[in-house]
Amino acid sequence: MWTPVERFDIVIAGVGGQGTILASRIIGRAAVIAGLKVRGSELLGMSQRGGAVFSHVRFGTKVEAPIIPKGAAHMLLAFEPAEGLRYLHYLSRNSLILVNTKPIIPQTVSAGLSKYPDLQQILQYYRSFATTIALDATQLAIQAGNPITTNSVMLGAMVGTGRFPLSSEIMLQAIEETVRKSLLDVNKKAFFLGFEKAKQLMDETQVIGA
Amino acid sequence: MSLRSLAGKKQGEKVLLMGNEAIAWGAIEAGVAVAAAYPGTPSSEILDSLAEVAKDYGIYVEWSANEKVALEVALAASYCKLRSMTSMKHVGLNVAHDTFMTAAYIGARGGFVVVSCDDPNAWSSQNEQDNRYIAMQAYVPVFEPYTPDEAKKMVVYAFQFSEDYGQPVMLRSTTRVSHAVSEVEIGSILRLERKPVWEKRPDLLVYDSAGARRNRVRMVERFERIAKEIDKVPFNKLELVEGAKKGIVASGLAYGYVKEALNLLHLDGKVSLLKLATTYPIPKELVKKLLENVEEVLIVEELEPITETLIKAYSADLGFRMRFHGKDWIPLIGELTTEPVMQAIAKFVGVEMPINYDDIRELSKAAAQLPPTRPPIFCPGCPHRASFYSLKKVSTKLANNPKLFGLEQVFGESTTPIYPGDIGCYGLAYLPPFRTSDLSICMGGGIGFANGLAHIVKAPIFVSIGDSTFFHAGIPALVNAVHHKARMVVIILDNDVTAMTGEQPTPGSAVDAMGQPAKRVMLEELAKGCGVSYVQVVDPSDFKRSQEVLEEAVKVDGPAVVIFRRPCELVRTREQRRRGILPKLYTVDQSKCTKCMVCINNFGCPAIYKQDRVIQIDPTLCTGCGDCAQICPLHAIVRA
Repeated sequence: MWTPVERFDIVIAGVGGQGTILASRIIGRAAVIAGLKVRGSELLGMSQRGGAVFSHVRFGTKVEAPIIPKGAAHMLLAFEPAEGLRYLHYLSRNSLILVNTKPIIPQTVSAGLSKYPDLQQILQYYRSFATTIALDATQLAIQAGNPITTNSVMLGAMVGTGRFPLSSEIMLQAIEETVRKSLLDVNKKAFFLGFEKAKQLMDETQVIGA
Repeated sequence: MSLRSLAGKKQGEKVLLMGNEAIAWGAIEAGVAVAAAYPGTPSSEILDSLAEVAKDYGIYVEWSANEKVALEVALAASYCKLRSMTSMKHVGLNVAHDTFMTAAYIGARGGFVVVSCDDPNAWSSQNEQDNRYIAMQAYVPVFEPYTPDEAKKMVVYAFQFSEDYGQPVMLRSTTRVSHAVSEVEIGSILRLERKPVWEKRPDLLVYDSAGARRNRVRMVERFERIAKEIDKVPFNKLELVEGAKKGIVASGLAYGYVKEALNLLHLDGKVSLLKLATTYPIPKELVKKLLENVEEVLIVEELEPITETLIKAYSADLGFRMRFHGKDWIPLIGELTTEPVMQAIAKFVGVEMPINYDDIRELSKAAAQLPPTRPPIFCPGCPHRASFYSLKKVSTKLANNPKLFGLEQVFGESTTPIYPGDIGCYGLAYLPPFRTSDLSICMGGGIGFANGLAHIVKAPIFVSIGDSTFFHAGIPALVNAVHHKARMVVIILDNDVTAMTGEQPTPGSAVDAMGQPAKRVMLEELAKGCGVSYVQVVDPSDFKRSQEVLEEAVKVDGPAVVIFRRPCELVRTREQRRRGILPKLYTVDQSKCTKCMVCINNFGCPAIYKQDRVIQIDPTLCTGCGDCAQICPLHAIVRA
């Protein structure tokens, strides 16, 4: 019942400071460039300080509310492997999950107050839920020249899955309008590294759902 | 997005903006001349955005000491016939409430918009208050946008409306409007270039009882005219469906959820829908038209049943007998989302839900329990961590043995310290490993609460309050403590900014909102001026001196003030990056580390972590502050 032309809904999960907000703004900006209606919502303020953060970004002719209805998201971008697990109720069997496999260990785990799950177990949960593409986006960002370009790797990978309705050109234009000039080239490189990696992984992945 | 980038945009062009940026841009299009605010989530980016472009558009912009002062700054400008705006979080209006009430009696001579950013779900707040009640109490009309784009258009409209009717207007935003994004259509900028006009008008400005009575009459007359003409506001919209027996009223943001829910339930064009943008006063003609055409009404709004109450009362006035649903089906607590709205509409219309949300919740429940808890935490290099580390050391020592301090007579044999805290990043000290913030109730409330405790509880009291919060609401409580000899150590955490909301300047900063040099108000002079006999300023990274000072302060009979002064690490590191200076990082010398865990269990810097039984420092998080190297008992933390 969720046709992408009418709605395309993305949940972005991560840890404060990872650039999830910037990533959702870039997607939003790309949709505006494409002439679409955009809605989205972010959490700012106290949760910024290393806490769990999420943002919603949506576009299409029928989007009205700033928050995605549960069970309706087309994509989940987990910037941190465990963080995406908090938001599976926004997904359906037809969704696509994109996971950065580089964990960020919270202080609560080092202090023994909490446990960090095994990465394979995490991925298993994702895979049991929907089609999952897992990549070390942080490593690819370092390869591109700067770990802060992790969000561009994730955006490139999102387009590279072939499931995102806007083109690379539009996304790159939105990146150009958003990031600092001195960091543009490294962000573009990161975008392409993510794109290629996801494209390759998608070919090797068994697709769940329709 | 910086509003600076909008300068070259053509009218009609669409850009992506956050709600708060859109509100700021709306004010610019409306020709605002003065804007003042005190930062508070979710409102801060409005003034942040305006401040950045203030000079380009000839606007005076300031971060005021608190919301009351901000509202007064804007009120004065409106009185002098300039367009002015003040913006604040919902609880900020409690601080400005006194002035707000009388401002409504004075009226608006230049367009006067008060932006209230409410926080349903209390994402970043101490409560979920609905400020439409405050507006109603003050006879101030309320405009409620549902998207950033509508917010921008509404701000432009609200300025003209306020001026036309001579009454201040409240633009009521919420977290999901202020911190939402949407495409926003750029309009033309009204260049008013008005000269401020000061007129001696005691009839308007002097509030003796005659003034109050006289101006209440004028205010009520203004409001009656507004109530009569509010139907003209173009943001209200009635979508009547011929033959439909059911009607929905959606106010503000709820309209977005209702529209989407109707679409998902395949009910587009099957029920009548009234979009309410002016929730007070309600547009009676439109409401009447809806009530005349349907048999049953569902009222959807976030938080309190305000339009519900108004519409039910109006229906009774009209002599209509019909069934209403509102807060019996729509959640009163927390923010709305599409699901509960869908559920209410499905029940109202009598259709099946397309998705079983219980199934979804069940399926995702196990996974949601896997991630580790990740509470917000002091940033790497945050000076508050160092301050609370020293406080914890000294207060624990005192609690274990007051005799060491010669205070056994004052506090008794074994006394647990009490730590009243306040609103700001430092409030996170309530969490492990410090647990040195026992309360944070409202701005300035910590010292006030301690004033009460000091006279009834025999315990050492350590109050923590940020510099900005102290300027905002801490001073009267400190004066009170001095006068009544209330024994407490007041720790002012001076990081030179209002950090939690995005590092805005405070009255103690050397620059103002517009980046101009400003006079620094020194906290130590202020404390001494309040009559505090013991005042010390110390860098919290100097652990030895910090602990000595705290040990002295606790012996003072009466209030003692310790100012921990070090800039917010986010500001310091950003400044360094800008200058191209790389931080000198730290690492763990594994040959010396005994895994005593002091750095993790007692200090808790997020850059320090334990993996595979080894303590390590994450080079991408370490800022090179060096605090951990000082507290490591084995000197195992060294320069990388």
